[in-house]
Amino acid sequence: MPVPILKQGDCLIASIQSALTDADMLDLRDELSDRVGRFRSKGVIIDVTVLDVLDSFASRTLRTISEMVRLRGAETVIVGIQPGVAFSMVQLGLSLDGVTTVLDLEEGLAHLERSRRARAALAGG
Amino acid sequence: MDDVSVTIRSDADVVAARGMGRSLAEDYGFGMTDVTMIATAISELARNILKYAHEGEIVVETVQRNSRSGVSVVARDDGPGIADVGLAMQDGFSTADSLGLGLPGTRRLMDEFEIVSSPGAGTIVTAIKWLR
Amino acid sequence: MAATRPRVHADGLAEAIGLGPAELAMRKRFLEFDDSDVHRLAEIYDLTQEHVDQVIEGFYDHLLSFPETAAFFRDPRLLEHVKGRQKEYFIRLTQGDYEQEYVADRLRLGSIHEKIGLPVRSFLGMYAFYLRQIAGLLLKEHSEDPDQAFETFHSLAKLLFFDIGLGVDIYIYQRERTIALQQEAIRELSTPVLTVRDRLLVLPIIGILDTSRAQQLTEGLLKSIRDSRAKVVILDVTGVPAVDSAVANHLLQTVEASRLMGAQVIVTGLSSNVAQALVTLGVDLTKLNAVGDLQGGIEFAERIMGYRVVANGDGLPEVVDAGSDPEAG
Repeated sequence: MPVPILKQGDCLIASIQSALTDADMLDLRDELSDRVGRFRSKGVIIDVTVLDVLDSFASRTLRTISEMVRLRGAETVIVGIQPGVAFSMVQLGLSLDGVTTVLDLEEGLAHLERSRRARAALAGG
Repeated sequence: MDDVSVTIRSDADVVAARGMGRSLAEDYGFGMTDVTMIATAISELARNILKYAHEGEIVVETVQRNSRSGVSVVARDDGPGIADVGLAMQDGFSTADSLGLGLPGTRRLMDEFEIVSSPGAGTIVTAIKWLR
Repeated sequence: MAATRPRVHADGLAEAIGLGPAELAMRKRFLEFDDSDVHRLAEIYDLTQEHVDQVIEGFYDHLLSFPETAAFFRDPRLLEHVKGRQKEYFIRLTQGDYEQEYVADRLRLGSIHEKIGLPVRSFLGMYAFYLRQIAGLLLKEHSEDPDQAFETFHSLAKLLFFDIGLGVDIYIYQRERTIALQQEAIRELSTPVLTVRDRLLVLPIIGILDTSRAQQLTEGLLKSIRDSRAKVVILDVTGVPAVDSAVANHLLQTVEASRLMGAQVIVTGLSSNVAQALVTLGVDLTKLNAVGDLQGGIEFAERIMGYRVVANGDGLPEVVDAGSDPEAG
């Protein structure tokens, strides 16, 4: 089942709707990488609110997506990790180190907005 | 529903095993966080089966011992087996999401954990979580 | 939150209590209840059928004559309901097949009694009443063969002891469940998560942190982070007397899990002894974002979140939202 990806300005928002198989996750990785390139997006939000499990594979893939997207000039923000999922991940030793994680979509957009302003400030000199 | 058994042959089976394990645990009275921990443990164990043995089975069932009640997850395969179980169970706390078996992490998710494995003899992992 | 016993439907009671087929068989062996007993009871089936109404009505008249027990049956519908169930019970005693279904029935009945709060002495009294009534009936029925009467009475007594065991088990089970739920409530009360400012939580940790409590604390905190959309959490450990590697681990896990939910964690109240202990354990204190005391922690959090303290019109300090850019860290 493909994950719907919305384009909002220079951001892409991938909203996961249901449990993903490994193949689905890899497809998501490839889709996002491709679209970031095509649209020259600056930010990617992956919404995992609905996921009740984030295991080692999912965690690894999210980090991979973050790295691939960064190589193409964009920033990734994971939003919506649920309390039980956060707890389990930490027990398993999955830390998503180096990946930005925020509470929800609203925070994700706010984060990307701050990054955008920071970029503009730098560019403005 | 007292027990569920899922054959693991593809990654869709991993998702199925997790979902059924989750339902069983929820019905049995586990709180949300514990249900997630059980589902995550099932996911990791099923994933190991796929990766190393390509085929196996996950059985989730309710258990009672003395006056405690809980859920047990048994992951079974006829794969190559683990040569050094001690090594596989070593706690590399921060590196569990790299290529390892995720077994120490899975053990942390559950209350009891037992693994029987040797080269050529397959692997059986039994993990139990008790109601708190 | 979880209780120590599963929330099972009536059908699953036997299993939940641990009364599987093996356990039940053992109990029967212990009571020396065997097929000859089953046979003797079957022989008085007609007798019980004939007298069931009289026995049960007599029984409830007896119960209702005592104010303590009458109190439980004030509701006429409840009274009719339990009378009906008792009549079924009474007849069932001599219908044989004392296996899973029989046990499930007993547990259900006992469950109802426990729920309405009927004391143990009352339900024990019920069994005593039955034995007396049936003893009377048996003596009349077998007046020319008292040995036969005694044997049958003995078989019935064994079965009733079996039933009493089940009744006691269900009482204990449900009582323990209630206690566990109450303990849960107490625990939740004793580990409050405080909202100090909009999106700033303080979790004062008091007392010994064992694994189970630590897990509970972390769960509660993570749920609070979600519910109040917290950006910063202050863990105040002033009240934690000792920190060993397990506690240190719990703290780190809490910090890590909170971060996954987008909240920054500040640890306050680390005494120099405890800080030393953590360093010795190899814990990287910078990961814990440790600030001296709670007050300092709150001020630090406010700065991170973009609040400033200004003097208001009366020259008194007031916290205002810096407004533009609550940039974390």
